[in-house]
Amino acid sequence: MNGRDLEFRRQAYRAVVVLLFLVLAGNLFWMTGPRNAYYRGLALENRQVRFRVPAPRGRILDRTGRLLADNTFIADITLSRSGFLSGRCDSTLGRVARWCGLDSAAVRDRLAARAEKGTGRLTLVGNADMEQVVTVQERRRVLPGLRVETRPRRRYLEGPLFAHVIGHVGQIRDEELASADPALAYRSGDMIGRQGIERAYETRLRGRAGIKLEEVNAAGHVVGRSPVWLQEIVPGGDLVLTLDARLQEAMAAALGDRSGCGVALSCRTGEVLAACSSPTFDPNLLTVPISQDDWERLSGDPRKPFFNRALQATYPPASLYKPIVSLVAMRDGIVDRGTYLEPCRGGWQLGNRFFRCWKISGHGSVDHAGALIHSCDTYYYQIALRLDLDHLAAGARSFGLGSRRGGIFQEETAGLVPDSHWYDQHYGQGRWSRGVVLNNSIGQGEILVTPLQMAVVAGRLAVGNELPPVTWVAGQERIDPQPELPFAAGDLAWVRRVLARVVAEGTGKAAALPDVAVAGKTGTAQNPHGEDHAWFFCFAPADDPEVALAVIVENAGHGGSEAAPVARRWLEAYFHGPARGEADRRAAPDAEETS
Amino acid sequence: MSLREALFPAGDRWIALAWALLCLASLAVLWSVTEPIRGPYLQLDAGVAKTIFYRQVLWVALGWIVLTVAARIRLRTLENLSLPGMLILLVLLVVLLAVGAKISGSRRWILLGPVRMQPAEFAKITFILATAHLLGRDPDRAPRPLVVIGTLGLMLAHMVLVMREPDLGTSLVFLAIWLGMIFWYGIPGILLVGAAGAALSAVIMFISESVLARQPWPWGIYLLVVIGLLALVPLSIPARISLLLVNVASGLGIPFLWEKLRGYQQERILTFFDPMRDQFGTGYQAIQSKVAIGSGGLLGKHYLQGTQKGLAFLPERHTDFVFSVVGEELGLVGCLVLLGLFLLVILRGLDTAATARRPFWRFAAVGIVSYFTFHVVVNVAITTGLLPVTGLPLPGLSYGGSNLLTSSFLIGVLLNIGSRSFDT
Repeated sequence: MNGRDLEFRRQAYRAVVVLLFLVLAGNLFWMTGPRNAYYRGLALENRQVRFRVPAPRGRILDRTGRLLADNTFIADITLSRSGFLSGRCDSTLGRVARWCGLDSAAVRDRLAARAEKGTGRLTLVGNADMEQVVTVQERRRVLPGLRVETRPRRRYLEGPLFAHVIGHVGQIRDEELASADPALAYRSGDMIGRQGIERAYETRLRGRAGIKLEEVNAAGHVVGRSPVWLQEIVPGGDLVLTLDARLQEAMAAALGDRSGCGVALSCRTGEVLAACSSPTFDPNLLTVPISQDDWERLSGDPRKPFFNRALQATYPPASLYKPIVSLVAMRDGIVDRGTYLEPCRGGWQLGNRFFRCWKISGHGSVDHAGALIHSCDTYYYQIALRLDLDHLAAGARSFGLGSRRGGIFQEETAGLVPDSHWYDQHYGQGRWSRGVVLNNSIGQGEILVTPLQMAVVAGRLAVGNELPPVTWVAGQERIDPQPELPFAAGDLAWVRRVLARVVAEGTGKAAALPDVAVAGKTGTAQNPHGEDHAWFFCFAPADDPEVALAVIVENAGHGGSEAAPVARRWLEAYFHGPARGEADRRAAPDAEETS
Repeated sequence: MSLREALFPAGDRWIALAWALLCLASLAVLWSVTEPIRGPYLQLDAGVAKTIFYRQVLWVALGWIVLTVAARIRLRTLENLSLPGMLILLVLLVVLLAVGAKISGSRRWILLGPVRMQPAEFAKITFILATAHLLGRDPDRAPRPLVVIGTLGLMLAHMVLVMREPDLGTSLVFLAIWLGMIFWYGIPGILLVGAAGAALSAVIMFISESVLARQPWPWGIYLLVVIGLLALVPLSIPARISLLLVNVASGLGIPFLWEKLRGYQQERILTFFDPMRDQFGTGYQAIQSKVAIGSGGLLGKHYLQGTQKGLAFLPERHTDFVFSVVGEELGLVGCLVLLGLFLLVILRGLDTAATARRPFWRFAAVGIVSYFTFHVVVNVAITTGLLPVTGLPLPGLSYGGSNLLTSSFLIGVLLNIGSRSFDT
């Protein structure tokens, strides 16, 4: 080995080393210079996580500012997907499951199935109780990615009292998610209004979820820095109902535990003051996954507690229909206010069929007013002999029957006012007899109405065209003006006077108050499935009506004995209770501030 | 010996200065790495504890003492001790494989109370010195194949024992040291060119066959370039033909060998080349390290401010991936300063190896230079994603007593040799 040789090797070795270092330096320059933005993006992706924060749902208040629905918080124990997939948690998962009182094998299977699809966190325990939350908070360091997350939960402060009017929220279903307006940006797990006001005013109550970026460390835990809001939370708007919780309570108390319904509205504003459907249920049970027991108890109840009788149930109006028949008959000149017809001997023979009056012994000879006061069916059968069915149907529709009142509730039904066209369609052209008109004239047969509709009829009998459209929410937009009543003002006034006599001396005596004149009408709806339904509607005071209401008690028997006392009890609360004087003012949209 | 002499060893001042700066840089980086993780974290893995930093202070101090001792010891004594020392360490490596404590899947450490020793690190010293001794025994004769084959056997013995631990990275260090020393010894250049050509051909064929979806045209281009070079370079006809054959054979042999590998082995190798294939498994470290360095940019995110480090995304950030922390917090500038210091040590070390008077000195020096070259180049290449991930510390910077003491000792020997090159 000579010096020249060694010098060559030194130069060669040095060249190789310098070359290698140049490669390293060049690559470092490439990474930190031109590619810097790319790697910065990756570093950001590493540590920034998007969180969606649901907006608090708007509160619901009654007309006096009493809180009916607000939000509390519910705690979920969740696990990050990566925390679960790392497999590191397999044994600890078992421990966590044990603390929470869950079957660890079942939890693991459920999470494994969920982990395969979708993104986001896995919910280990939904709606955890305080004990579980505390246990996990104390020990969460054991399992990376374990977290207690809170989300708003709907709370119905009056529980069953407003269950049907307010409705409730529930977790959005897959089919609802698929059909929802994309602008509303629903996500799986969101709550959506299911019934009543909650569904009707979903868009306003819901608000808009916020989206924030949080910095997390490699364990997926949020580092304590203020988040960046990509989209601010827009809280849902509050709603003030026209209902008064005290009057609602009075209605519920008046109905007791019987199946039935009572709807009351202000004759001056058209605002609904109380709307009770019985039996009811606690809507708070439905805002979280309901227990199997509760669900079976409620959904299997033959009395149908979920059913909102005020809007969804239809009954024949029975004798409550008679004032309308009277008005149509007087307008058409079939009878006059004082007309006597053939005396009632317990019914009327038409062809080979005998149409019975409810009073088997008969009413004897009555004039028009007497027929209405004592609800004589025979008198109305005789009107029906000369009555044009389509005129009757049009008269009924002018009171709002056969169409939806208020229009905000999707679950509301329209009922049915049959006319000749309807009978032609269902029985065939000319294949139905005059008998159906006789049935119609006493509110039986195919005609169907809802309790809300009958409350509106009472209101329109009370104040005629002065009754504003029905509203449920303060500041509610009033749409489609109601049809004008095609009756003479004198005839309407006469009917009012007669209805006052119904309560004073006729079938409706049970609704009479000592100091306020009540005008009303009883009804007994034939029910092929069992006992008759007891109807009563009324308005009061008779000479200057403030309030109108309709009550039905299912399977109870006579309206005069069963439904009229319910109305009286509510009227007592209205006229003598603390709500007096407030209910005939319009509910203000900002009732909270005035309360 | 005065205090000044003790603290500042004789020999190449630049090497001593560069090494001192590297050791100080190590302390600065480890202080940053041992800052607490931001945000709640799993207690068992709550980042790198501050004690790591204080231990490293201890190791650096201890390393400097070892360095000054190694810089003053009589080199004759070292040469005399080299063969017995190597034998002792070989025995130790065998014993380790039989009874060593298994820590995270490998038997690398001897536990001495609270201290873990890695015999493989110290074996590098004895291997360099013993090989230098064997190569330098007959300075006047031409290079002899028997010596080459003998040292090759020793190298393979070390490699196999360390690979069995298993520790692939460290075992390759022995190969690198041996290659560097043999090159210095005077192996025919054509052999080196042939070996390099064969390796390059194999890698290119592998990449074209597996990574580029079985399109052999890059290898074809490579072969054309080789043929063109062989035509231009003045070599004998047999030499040209054998070089060409070596390239062709190693290239064509790769697909055949590939088929022989098992599925998981193939998968592991493919992940080496494409970390995204398994980005939460073995590819994770490589990706996070590149993200750390790349996101650091030219000037870095500033000292203590690294997010990849601070939020614990970067694994092994106090040991094998300490360079990534430098890249993230101090940027390209910090990286280039570090590389410059290492290059200074290596180039000045080469000068020492070229000017040393005695053969043992020359070979020992070039062995030491090869040790540093391999460690630095391969570690940085791994952290920047140029090479597949395998455990290999960055000398002087990575936390760890065994490697720091070994490196300090070798620097000391290098200074020792340099201090004697011109006197007497």
